[in-house]
This record gives sequence, C-alpha cells and structure tokens, in this order.
Amino acid sequence: MIFDFHTKYDGDGKGHFGEYGGRFAPEMLIPALEELEAAYKNAKKDKKFEQEFLELLHSFAGRPTPLTFAKNLTKKLNGAKIYFKNEGLNITGAHKITHCLGQALLAKKMDKKRIIAETGAGQHGVAAATVAAKFGFSCTVYMGEVDVARQRPNVFWMQQLGAEVIPVKFGSRTLKDAVNAALKDWITNVESTHYLLGSTVGPHPFPTINRDFQSVVGMEVKEQIKKSEGRLPDYLIACVGGGSNAIGLFYRFLNDGKVKMIGVEAGGRGVEKIGDHATRFYGGETGVVEGYKSVFLQDEYGNLALTHSVSAGLDYPGIGPQLAYLKEQGRADFTYATDKEVLDAFKLLAKTEGIICALESAHAVAGAIKLVPTLSKDKIVVVNLSGRGDKDIFIVAEALKDKEWRDFIRSKVYEY
Amino acid sequence: MNAIEKKLIQLKKENRLGLIAHAVLGYPNMEKSLEIINSLISNGSDFLELQIPFSDPVADGETIMKACEVALKSGMNTDEAFELVGNLRRAVNVPILLMAYYNTIFRYGIKRFCKKAKDLRVSGIIVPDIPPEEEIAEKFITTSLEYDIYPIRVVSPSSSINRLEINARFARGFVYCISHFGVTGTKTVVDDRLTRYLQRVKQIMKLPVAVGFGLSKAEQIEALKGVADIVIVGSAIIKNYNEGGIKQVSSFIKSLKESTMGKGYI
Repeated sequence: MIFDFHTKYDGDGKGHFGEYGGRFAPEMLIPALEELEAAYKNAKKDKKFEQEFLELLHSFAGRPTPLTFAKNLTKKLNGAKIYFKNEGLNITGAHKITHCLGQALLAKKMDKKRIIAETGAGQHGVAAATVAAKFGFSCTVYMGEVDVARQRPNVFWMQQLGAEVIPVKFGSRTLKDAVNAALKDWITNVESTHYLLGSTVGPHPFPTINRDFQSVVGMEVKEQIKKSEGRLPDYLIACVGGGSNAIGLFYRFLNDGKVKMIGVEAGGRGVEKIGDHATRFYGGETGVVEGYKSVFLQDEYGNLALTHSVSAGLDYPGIGPQLAYLKEQGRADFTYATDKEVLDAFKLLAKTEGIICALESAHAVAGAIKLVPTLSKDKIVVVNLSGRGDKDIFIVAEALKDKEWRDFIRSKVYEY
Repeated sequence: MNAIEKKLIQLKKENRLGLIAHAVLGYPNMEKSLEIINSLISNGSDFLELQIPFSDPVADGETIMKACEVALKSGMNTDEAFELVGNLRRAVNVPILLMAYYNTIFRYGIKRFCKKAKDLRVSGIIVPDIPPEEEIAEKFITTSLEYDIYPIRVVSPSSSINRLEINARFARGFVYCISHFGVTGTKTVVDDRLTRYLQRVKQIMKLPVAVGFGLSKAEQIEALKGVADIVIVGSAIIKNYNEGGIKQVSSFIKSLKESTMGKGYI
C-alpha cells in the first residue's frame, strides 16, 4: 500500500508536527474536517482507492513524469550531476493535479457535489477545475484580484473547464486572501461542499493528506534515480510556497538520513525588508493563521504581512507546518532566490536544457545554480521542476522587457 | 463573582433577552470608535463585544472584515485596543467581552494578554479559532480562567452532540451560538431548525445561549424570545453607522433594546 509509509517526522494523531500544525479552525468547520479525516483514514487502507488513484495518475495525469539528466547544465556549472524531475509534464502543467485527483476521490466518497479551491498562480485552480470537470462536480475557485490580473490565461482556462472564478477584493488580494475567501465559502456551504485546499497548509488533516498524495513525486524519483544511477541522490531541491511540491519530493527520502534537502523560498526584491519578499525563514515568526500553526511573515501584533514575489504561487506569508518542523529539526535546510536570480535561472534552464519552467520552479533552479558548483562531480542533485512556464509568458516577457512581445500585445490591443 | 454572572442574574430577574452589541475597536478611528461604543452603552446594551481587528478574520463577513481593514489602517493594534478599553472603563459598567482571533492573543503572549484584560476588568474572551483540542498545548482557556476571564465557547448548527459535550467542559457564562451556516452579517431566519439546535445546546451545555450572526431586525429578536437568552448584534451596527453615523446607531440600538423586553430570558 503506497500510503502505508511512516517517518519519525510525521504528525501526531491531531496533526501536530512538534509545535506546528494542528487544527485551529472555527467550530463550524470542525465536523467537515473530522469527516474528511475519517474518509481519508478509510481510503488509505482501501486497496481499491489506491488502485483508482494510481490508475488516474497513469492514464489521465500523465504519471510518472520523467527524471531528466541535465547534461548541458551539469557541464556548464562544473560540479555535481543535476537531474530535473519534470512535473510540468503533468496534465494542467504542474504537480497540483496529483493531490487534486486524490481529494476528488475523497470528495466522491463523501458524496459532495461541489468543490471550492483557492489559487495563487492559478495552477491549483486549473487542476481543481480539471478534476471537477472530470468528476462532474460544480466548482468555484477563489483568486486574489492581483493574481487574476497577472495570471489571466489560467483564469480563462478555469472558465473553459466550467469553473466559476471569483476575484477576491479584500486584504492584499493575493493567495492568503483567496484562502480566506474559500474558508468563508466553506463555512457557509459546509454540508454540500468539499474544500479542495491546494497545498500542505491549513487545518489538520490537509497538510497530511496533500503530503501523502504528493509523495508520489518522491516515490517516482527514488525508482528513477536508482535505475539511472544505482543509488540515492545527495541533495533534493524544491521551491517552497505552501510546500506541496517540496514535501512531495522530500517525504519518501526523510528516512534516508544521507539525502540532504533544500527548500528555496521567494526572495522577491531582497529579504531585508518585510513586504519585499515571501521568505518565511528570514523575518517570519511562529503564529496561528488560517487554521494552522507555523512560521508566518507578520507584524508584532500578529497581522499577516504583505509579501512580494515575481511568482504568484510563492507569494504567501505562511509555510506548511511539516516543513517548519523539518527546518527546526535540522532535517531540511532553507534558502531563497531573488526575483532577479529567478529570471536568470529561468533563462539559463531554457537555453541549456530546453525546458521552460514555471517561475515558481525557477526558484529551485536558482538554488541549484548556487549549490552545484560547490559540490564535487560525484554528487547527485535532484531538482523539482514543479510546473511548466507557459502560464508565465506575460510576466517573463515583461520582466525581460522584450520589445517584440510588447509590439505584439499592442497590435492585439489595436485589433480589439 | 464574574460580571457576566451578575448580568445573567439580572436578566433572569427582569425576564428579558440580553443584548450584546458588537464593535470593532478602532473603527473607523480611535475617536469615533469610542463614540460608537458609548452610544451602544447609553442606549441599553447589556454587554459589549469588542473585537480587536485582525488582518485575516476568517469567520467574519464583508462588513466586519472591511471594518477591521479600516481600523488597522488607522493604526489600531492590540496595545491601542487595550488603551481604548481603558478609556471606556472609566465610564462603563456593563460587562466587556473581548473578541480576538487566536494569533492576536498568541503573539501578544497569552498570559500578558489575560493579565492586561483582567486589569481592565474584562469579563470574557471570545476566540473563534481555538477548539478545545488545541488547549492541551496552548493553555489559553486555562490561563484565562486563572484570571477569572470567561472563555466564551462558540458553537454552530453543525456541532454534533459530541462536539457540544467537548466544548461544555470548557464553557463558562453563556454559549455563543452561531445562528446558521455562514459568516457574520449574513441573513438569519428563525425557524424550527434553529430552535431545535438551541434547545440541543442548552440541554447539553447547561448554560444560557446567546445567538449571533445575521441579526438586524426587531422581528428576528421577537422570534427568538423563549428560544434564546441573549442576542448578539454586530455587522448590522456597523452598517447602520456607515449609513447614518452615530445618530442612526443610537436609534437602531434603542429599537433593538425595546424588542428584547418582556418574556425573554429562559
């Protein structure tokens, strides 16, 4: 059974990872969280559920995604061997589809007719809208107004998939506010609706169930790297917003003490000033927000701080509780990459390896670019490319000040 | 004796529904906020529920959420909130309940928060996002009780008998019953389902029941007579203020107060 896997870094029965995690939810949501927890506990032991999940991953999502040896980049950086786990080849273009399929199966088991989701970059929203279409749920996606503006292509796709996209107009109008809006919807429609939360954050059991579904990523990597190298990697690198792709890659390696893990946070315009970045481990403090205890960027009174990142998917002030715990335990290390480093990494990856990755994932690439030259050639580094970059075409073109692109947009505007 | 208990005895004696009027501390600014709260008191509110604004108020609807945003922008924070309560305290004799999201208290320091509240003769604290299960590690309820501040438990129509029993162990004073599935400020209909739910809460938790979320009309309050002990009005007060300032708030509270009279408290 794939879900029958344990590590000493797992949560207790109530979803506490050391000090972090838990279920700090309003009483209204407790019954729904208990229902979800019970449904998951049963599903975990159910051979048929596992088969159904894996079958969907193989025949619909496109798993396993390839693990690609980055020959050119390895040569260029002249250090450890680099492998990319290309999650961008999943249907909808990112790892998010994996936990969406898992949760959709749970929603079906719980006889829910409607799902709701929050989204930042729109990747989770598109994945949620996709499973809604496939399973026949009605679907509402909450997305901050700022993100709607910068990720319009994904909004369009969500609508084509039949989802209703509601722009969130309060707070900082980004991901955290979308989570808030989704929670309010759930509070209102809790009997009919499943909240398909999109990361390893929120109240118990979300961090655990999303981790378990996403752990397929690490499972695949383990098999693939053994096949090509005959051994485990020395380093795993992933970008970290809420943390679903990071914990997805890390989880199956937690018991392998020699495998080091690095999470790369969004350094934005630099980590010196709160508001310029989304690097929780530089300037973040322990807090309890949106149903869980973890490290948050906040002011001295506990109000969440504004964040900034070139990538909407990492533009979030909190971090998954298990990752905060892994950091505290010294099992995972965290670093950051600035917007500029990220764009450079994005360009280098495209030109050397022929992969256009999402700006979120380019953070992991930037982390690798810094680490790899410091390592000897016999070391192996696996970098998680959590998604592909199609959705970022407007942001990247603008950031690179591409003149021809600007002319193209202008001519389109003229046509309209 | 905790001031909440004294008030409950008084309500029983006077045979009427209690009225809790809610305000967001610092909305729209410190000065006006004080004026609003004073008008809530002078027009007969039995308790005050004073909310410390928070950036991510998950259980609140649009009206209160916007009010929190405005208050925070005008410089409100936990220290300022205590100062405002201190200013009120000199003139006020109704029990004060603070409402805060857990992170506000956690960041301030639970002990420090409770001590400060006690010094200002706060009688109760309403925290919507701390279920009893988290109490083992957090010790928030235990600490507030050490300072004789009642931790008011919040329950909802979805709370099972088991949930009510778990909450009963920690409940003091009265139970805050959310009237329906929804966030603050969304419409409530007093129907059989609500009545049965309130009866269930009363039977299991053995405390007076206060009903809140979406109450704004005298008819709703009339319909709650004999069903509830206390009514809580929040978003509607802010809406009235936004429409017609202090004057409209005063007449609104006055009319609500009138509708609480007679054959109320059960």
